[in-house]
Amino acid sequence: MRDVAVIGVGMIPFGRRDEDSLMEMLAYASLKALDDAGLGDKSVDAVYVGNMGSGMLQHQSAIASSLVDRLSLLPAPADTVENGPASGGSAVKNGLLAVASGYYDTVLVVGGEKMREVTGWRATDFVATMTHPLAEYVYGITLPGMAGMFTRLYMEKYGVTREHLVAVSIKNQEMGGRNPYAHVEMAITKEGIFDDPAAVVNNPVIADPLHLYDACPVSDGAAALILFPLEKIKNPVKPPVVIAGFGQATDTHTLQEREDPTDLKAVTLAAQQALEMAKLKPSDIHVAELHDAFTILEIAESEHIGFFKKGEGGKAALAGKTAFGGTIPINLSGGLKARGHPVGATGVAQVVDIVFQLRHELPKDRQVKNAQNGLTVNFGGFGNNVLSFVLRRVQQ
Amino acid sequence: MKKEIGIVAFKCKKCGKLHYPFHDRCLKCKGREFDPVKPQGNVKLLTFTRIYNLPWGFDQRYLTIGVVEFENGVRAMGQIKADEKDDLKIGMAMIPSWGPVRVQYGENVYGLELEPVK
Repeated sequence: MRDVAVIGVGMIPFGRRDEDSLMEMLAYASLKALDDAGLGDKSVDAVYVGNMGSGMLQHQSAIASSLVDRLSLLPAPADTVENGPASGGSAVKNGLLAVASGYYDTVLVVGGEKMREVTGWRATDFVATMTHPLAEYVYGITLPGMAGMFTRLYMEKYGVTREHLVAVSIKNQEMGGRNPYAHVEMAITKEGIFDDPAAVVNNPVIADPLHLYDACPVSDGAAALILFPLEKIKNPVKPPVVIAGFGQATDTHTLQEREDPTDLKAVTLAAQQALEMAKLKPSDIHVAELHDAFTILEIAESEHIGFFKKGEGGKAALAGKTAFGGTIPINLSGGLKARGHPVGATGVAQVVDIVFQLRHELPKDRQVKNAQNGLTVNFGGFGNNVLSFVLRRVQQ
Repeated sequence: MKKEIGIVAFKCKKCGKLHYPFHDRCLKCKGREFDPVKPQGNVKLLTFTRIYNLPWGFDQRYLTIGVVEFENGVRAMGQIKADEKDDLKIGMAMIPSWGPVRVQYGENVYGLELEPVK
């Protein structure tokens, strides 16, 4: 297997993008990645497009075929990869394996979603379709609802408090304000969403015990990257970053069939595989992008990866250990909570954000000094299909 | 007339593991033969949430949903008939029934309903 480098990245600002179609967003992000890699007028060997819902939300299928046509990448083979909110991560995995195996050299991976085209009512239903149709969906369960039930169990078992969750919200929205690609750029205070009596209005319950500011927004957006074999890079323009490890694992479709529903086994397995492949330990990671669709998930994932012991993740967030300048900075992009969560884009965007960090090209208020290793977790379903990537800056 | 609870769990004939919903192979031993098991006995609330941002198809202010365990080990999700002032707690006893939980294509869809024991 060959070492695979990320030689180009591109992202467009996440948010409500009424002016752009899904195809336009995918094209803009792809063109930025091609330009970043110095391939502005070149072709690629293959294309993987991560997307969860174009068939349901835009009434458009086979979007990879449409994208290669639009980008004049014909006759490059092109596939759409759907894996719920881990569609982006699965697209990266497919590209990674294609280059690592030696089958293709230059691969474009792009993920995107346009969720604001429909009402919140429809978007909530669209995301809920990933639950079990007979044992869960029929009851009106939503992903915030799944997260609410998980949070209640996690609070009961590990002593996570609302104050811990609020600490994650504040941190990630603060970082979103520093990220020009973020959907939510509004800093919030503990007083405004927790302490003050007006917090009841500012931060209402959405899925008890979770509140509005515990949840990611519904976003439009796209992100892209170009993969290429490290051994073939000559005179790199930008510091090469390799995908040093990846892991993927699945778990039961329904939460109720897990012996201990607070145990996110697929997160543990995926992160362990990625770290082992990269020959690194959790303590070797300098920066991480975790799947904080809900604040509880950032805390739980930080524990399941091994950054903290079970029950310590919430306290660590409150103590600032996961903040910019902390011992293990998490979600300096703002995470899903503030950068946004266009479901098919997220797994790709997380890798793009880690590449920004490892190239050391971010402004001082977001750049982890001398970061060499980064990790991502892309959480599909409610933890039933999880991908993790470890990226490393190549020493030159 | 009270309807029978329409849930069927599946007990692996080889290793005894109980499944709900159905799997083609046992999650523990990969066996393919199962005995049907009806949920029976007292019902305990394992976790719950009250959702205020409802999906398409629910024209109401909130929905309370929980996961319960029957005395014979069957675990299932259901809708909880409780209002905002009801103090729900993990571990509390619930009364199960079978009733309309959703309308799809103009027809009632039936499922597990739960009511706190008072």
